[in-house]
Order: sequence, then structure tokens, then C-alpha cells
Amino acid sequence: MAPRTIAPFGPQHPVLPEPIQLKITYENEKVVDVVPALGYGHRGIEKACELNEYPKNIHLCERICGICSCMHGISYCEVVERLWPMEVPPRAKYLRTIWSEMSRTHSHLLWLGLLADALGFESMFMQFWRIREKVLDLLEMTCGSRVTQSVSVVGGVRRDIDDEQKKICIRTLQEVRQEAEALINVLATDPTVKARTVGKGVLTKEQAILLGNNGPHLRASGVKEDCRMLGMQAYGELGFEPVVETDGDCYARALVRARETLQAIDLQLEAFSKMPEGEIYVRPKGSPPANEAVYRCEQARGEVFYYAKGNGTRKLERLRVRTPTFANIPSLLVMLPGSELADVPIIVLSIDPCISCTER
Amino acid sequence: MIENLKEISKDTLLQEVQKFADAKARFVTTVCSDLGDKLEVTYYFNYSPGVDMVALRMVVGKDEEVPSISGIYLTAVLSENEMFEQFGLKVKDMAIDFGGLMLLGKDSPVKPMVKDDAAAGKGGE
Repeated sequence: MAPRTIAPFGPQHPVLPEPIQLKITYENEKVVDVVPALGYGHRGIEKACELNEYPKNIHLCERICGICSCMHGISYCEVVERLWPMEVPPRAKYLRTIWSEMSRTHSHLLWLGLLADALGFESMFMQFWRIREKVLDLLEMTCGSRVTQSVSVVGGVRRDIDDEQKKICIRTLQEVRQEAEALINVLATDPTVKARTVGKGVLTKEQAILLGNNGPHLRASGVKEDCRMLGMQAYGELGFEPVVETDGDCYARALVRARETLQAIDLQLEAFSKMPEGEIYVRPKGSPPANEAVYRCEQARGEVFYYAKGNGTRKLERLRVRTPTFANIPSLLVMLPGSELADVPIIVLSIDPCISCTER
Repeated sequence: MIENLKEISKDTLLQEVQKFADAKARFVTTVCSDLGDKLEVTYYFNYSPGVDMVALRMVVGKDEEVPSISGIYLTAVLSENEMFEQFGLKVKDMAIDFGGLMLLGKDSPVKPMVKDDAAAGKGGE
């Protein structure tokens, strides 16, 4: 038997934008065992949410993650609205949907760029990120901020999109779609990309379900599951259908995110065309009751789970946030053993890990 | 209010969870809450393909030990370790035991999510 070596992958590694360590045992360049080590970015946000009054937690939840910030804020507001319970005006639902899909667009473009970078395809990496800048510009124009948008409040949203901004958004999104589609065609057909991703880190449909995977990671294994199918926000009026691939490898995960990028733009354009006039905020009545509620939202990386428990006071009794990467990390324990050491970075990147989210 | 919630005891936990695995349901997460002298633990599952979620809930004493479901759902191992280090919930036979150091460090507060007088009022406002 060849000698076994244990090597740390991370917490600092070129494919890891955030710190996580994988203790990898390998033998003749083949991975035989993996143990994850977390704890580099835990901030106790769930505990902090018990110490603040309801509205202040929006800002805390938005800081669980930079890339998913907008949808964390929306998810917190939605779970509190269910706990209350209260109904949000239709226009606010459309605005939340538009900003959620803008977030998905820039998150997927970021990931596609990271994938290209990890493969050494530098020009493609820069092109994806160049396009992404246009989406961030739209977020800045409509929300006032490129990263932490902070537009959602309990009862609706704090900003509207006027007609002039709407025209700019539609024009820019059409440009972004055209440019992204051209790049995605290159990504999907390039022999080098295929050589590094096809057949790597394969998860079958059964494994993906049993491992609790979610998001593009799950859908790439042939499972048609997406929280947007629940019809929350305005998704129920947009004819949404999940993007699914069946091969369960790194290439399939890339294709799901690539197709979802284009789909997210289409959803935004459709939402702009259907968005009704009207109020964007309704003031919550009374005090938060002693009640509990659950809300699930489909972030770019997958399903985020929010649980809130009120106790009749102005502070929450309990807030629980389970982020997509928290559920997707265990799949690495199955995907990595048996793979070549050189494929580890691509396989790890293929789950689109967000450690800031995971540790909260 | 949580829909599709079933109250169970720790003695029937593995049996109930196995039913979900047999039905090809996806494990979503656990939620632990401090009830004062007891801990409330809820396990959430989702039927695939589809979006219906079902929950199992049990209430256990703070000194009681509960069985790990990571032998059935490996992915539960992170949630179980988190419940141990954040609430002190003792979980027996976890697939990976981080020894209370998964998210917290050696110098971190002990069981920070447990509600007590020391924790109340610190931070936040």
C-alpha cells in the first residue's frame, strides 16, 4: 500500500474566496478521506438577533453574506411577516423578486468567473466579471448600494423603481443577456473546460437527495426542486420552471448556473412587464405575537431556511438560519474520495461554497 | 405556526427519521430552542421532487442524550454538532464529532445560545 499523506486544503486557497479547511488524506494522488474544519468566520448572528428588536435584525441578517445579502434581508422580512402574519402589497412582491433575481444574476456571473479563473481561463474570468459590473450598477441605481442593498423592510420595501430607472434596467439587462449568452456558449463547448469538469465530482440523484443537497447543486443531479416553485413573492405569476441537468458532475453544475443566469434575466424582464402600480409598504399592525414561522427562499447558491419564534415582546425568542452551503458541504465528503488531487479545487468550487453564510 | 409537525420522543427518533429516508425525503435542517429547563429540537424534511416540508419535534431534558441521525442522513452531522456546541445538546454517535469546536473556538463562550441571566442584555442594543 502506498503511503498516505494528509494535506490541508485551505483555509487560504486560490479557489476559496472565504476560509474553510478540508483535511485531505490522499494516496498516489487519489483522495481517500476528507474532514472539513469550520470556524474561521462565526459571528454569532443568530444569538445577536435575539438581543435586538425586530427591525434591527434586518441589517444583521443582510450581513450574514455579502453576495446573498439582498435575499437574506428579504427572507428575514418574509419569515417575520408570516409570524405576524401580514400581507405585503403586490408591487413590493414584484420589487423583491426583481432584486432577488438581480442578486442571482450577479452571483452566478461571479461564480462563472471564478470557475473560469480556477481553470486558468483568465480572459473568460474577466469577461464574466465585466458583465457582472453592469448588474451591480443596476443594483446601485435602484437600491443605492452595490453590495448590501438593504431595500426590504417588514411590510414591504423601502424603495421603488421609477419609469426612467425601469427603462435603463430593461435596456441593460438585454445587453447583459446577449453578452452572457455568447460567453456561456464558449464555456459550454470549450474542450478544456469539458476536460476539467465532465465526469468530475459526480453525485447521483439518489445521493444528492440523501445528502440533503439543495440549489443548483441538487438540480444538476436531476432533481427538479427549487423554492421558487412555492410561488412566494411574484414567482407564482411568472411561469417559473426550474433549470435541471442530469449528469450530476461539475460540468452539469456549471450548466445549471449558466442557464439560470439567463433565466434570472428573463424573470426580471417579465417581472418588469407585469409589475402592478400601487403601494410598496404596509405598516405592521399591533405587536409581534407569540408565534413561530418558517420561510424558505431560493438564493443563488440554493435554499436558505429561516425559522423565527416570537414571544410577544419586541424581541425574537429564536431565529434560525440554515444556509445553502451548510447543507451542501457534507456532499464533499462523498464527492472527493476517489477523485484526483488535482480535481479537488474544481469539485470544491462546484458547490459554490459560501462560508460567511455557513458560519453566520 | 408550523404545518405538518409531528411530536415524537427521542426513543422513536431514529425509527421516524428512517421512514423519511425510505420515502426518499431530503433532510433540510434542525432547529434547537431553549425552553428554560428543557430543549426543543425540530427536524425538518422535504419530499423530493416537490416542496412539501414535514417536521418532527421532540422536547428533551438538558442533561439527556439523543441519538444522532447522521447514520441515516450524513448531512445532519453539521447541525448536530452545532446544537451540541451552541446549546449543549448531547448527541450520541455523530458521524464526525468536532468536540464542540466546529464553529466556536477554545476561548469562545460556552453554550452561547442557552438563555441565562449572564447572556441577557449583552450586545445588541
